Amino acid sequence: MAGLGITIQRIEKSQGVARRPGTGRRMTGGYDERCAADLTAVCDGRDLSREDRTWLARVVTGAVRPNRDKPLWDLAHALAALARGTEAASGRDLVTLALDPGLATAAAVTARFSGTVVADARGPVFGEAWRTSWAGLARLLALAEFVLTAEDLAQFATVTGWLDELAAAPDAEGAAFLAKRLARHLSAYRNAHLPLAPLERRFRAILGFLAGRKAFTDDDILTFWRGEMEAGERPGFRTVAEHFVTFEAAAHLIGGLEGLSAPVSLDAHAGWEERLDAALGDLAAAEPAETLAALLADWPEGPKILTGAEREELTDLLRLEPFHRTRPLTTLRAASFGQVQSGIANRLRRGGGGGEVAERATCAEARSYAALQERAGALAAHLARMLRIAAALRIAERDGLDPETRAVLEAAEADLRRMRRSGFEDRAALARGFAAAETALLRLAEEAGRLERSLAGLARQRPLDAAFAADRSLFAAAFAAAYAGEAAA
Amino acid sequence: MSEDARLLAEIHAARALTRARPSAARPSHAALWTHANREPGAPVDLAVVRALRSDPEAARRYRTLLGAQAVAHAPLAAAASDGALTRRRVGPFELEILVGTPPLLILRGPDARMPRRIEAWLGDEAVRLDLGEPVDGTILLALDPAVAEADRLGQMLRDPACAVFLL
Repeated sequence: MAGLGITIQRIEKSQGVARRPGTGRRMTGGYDERCAADLTAVCDGRDLSREDRTWLARVVTGAVRPNRDKPLWDLAHALAALARGTEAASGRDLVTLALDPGLATAAAVTARFSGTVVADARGPVFGEAWRTSWAGLARLLALAEFVLTAEDLAQFATVTGWLDELAAAPDAEGAAFLAKRLARHLSAYRNAHLPLAPLERRFRAILGFLAGRKAFTDDDILTFWRGEMEAGERPGFRTVAEHFVTFEAAAHLIGGLEGLSAPVSLDAHAGWEERLDAALGDLAAAEPAETLAALLADWPEGPKILTGAEREELTDLLRLEPFHRTRPLTTLRAASFGQVQSGIANRLRRGGGGGEVAERATCAEARSYAALQERAGALAAHLARMLRIAAALRIAERDGLDPETRAVLEAAEADLRRMRRSGFEDRAALARGFAAAETALLRLAEEAGRLERSLAGLARQRPLDAAFAADRSLFAAAFAAAYAGEAAA
Repeated sequence: MSEDARLLAEIHAARALTRARPSAARPSHAALWTHANREPGAPVDLAVVRALRSDPEAARRYRTLLGAQAVAHAPLAAAASDGALTRRRVGPFELEILVGTPPLLILRGPDARMPRRIEAWLGDEAVRLDLGEPVDGTILLALDPAVAEADRLGQMLRDPACAVFLL
């Protein structure tokens, strides 16, 4: 059986599925661990805003149109403008600017460079043909740090050498030459660390399946997944659902790209910037902007407002954000049968198989939709209770409050006395713990409430027991066919 | 359609990357770069110094930054040697220790660009000193036993395992 795991790894390698070093977990998101670490080092080091983080992630993966090398062209010219304005003697001086976390915002770069670098009302200018805003310059410096420090500094000396050449001759020709070098550099980085080919194949298949439609239903997702299973790809249902999340977010971009290989005006670039930002808009939206998955992963230490098991369950139910609000059926399918499939995949990865795979494939152990709905309701109720406790801990002075509010707070006090969780004994420490978790708790309680409502809405339209029974036979048949080889082994 | 699929793949990866939360390497690139550019004897960030001593990964990243801006550097003495070294090459430069009281460090090199500082690494220990102005293409530095860092530099340079950065 051990040979099977190796075969799977070999197939995945040929398809460009990266594995997380250490844990060996598959990374089907289109990037490897190195890339995530390189990007985090820049974003955290500069404390970038959500908008700038998503911009930088977009530039690194190449999600820039019409020309994905445009940010590198901009960067080369920005560095040339800085080299001139600051009279940088060598590449080292430019490196110092690029690595300075104090130059991460428009205000900071304006304060530092507005008197020295040639600029118009918006921001720096280089020659006749190139200009950007001060905010743009701040972003480009973050990109400069990324290209310098990528691959954990493996190319640092090389890129510093290129900056030396630019500092020696900071003219239009030098900038254009550097732009070409940087474009090649980032393209090589993408080849090494962003296994996009399997993702691209999957999206091509989705586009083919939808045949020009931009809207899709829960059953479209299921039908598409079954087709992929039959074709032998065997993607996770949850993975496929995640691809549909992206498709939905970016659907407005589809079809506008043909014929863009020709040179286009700067206006066209500006239009695309806005549209691409919109595709990632839900990630860059107003505070509290953290994704629910990140919120749960970074849950503050302290009183056990949520146990590890509760966090895991919530992560599982909310992982397809925003589908937990908009597509409750897909959310249930992923939490129930997607979970079964992950179990089978994990079992195969560890080199198991045989009877256990066959047994799991029957979905006898799948959690029913009714049970999941009940659990989601219980978690939402728990979070709501925790919110009321947070309020009770905060509001000590209650004399002026209306009787209704006072009653709610007193009920919360009673809940608090009944709580048997670690960290709930000492009231002062508990109040501090709740204060630290308040923003996250508020957001999570709100989303759990939305999930509860969307599940209730689904249950009114489509009895959950019948839907579960029908789905179970579909998923069991798909698993039985797809994993027949391993189940028989 | 192919171009659409490519863009969707890139957006999907960007979304996934934005959600990924690995912990960032410490110390930051900026802190290491500041340390690499410090004046000899200037105040240092103790957190960085501690990390360089205790974390081999941080030390490796620091030396990468240092090597990139060095006029010349050599990770180890070019040729293995049994005893203490009195002469070694670092890029186009030649370093020689002239035994005497005090010992003298002599640095000769091409006319073009002479280094201003030297930083030596042996194990997790580092020493940085100003080299002074060259005279006729040669820099002379007294390794005065009364100056702890100069004395230590002389001892370290004699060890073949000592890495040298000319900055």
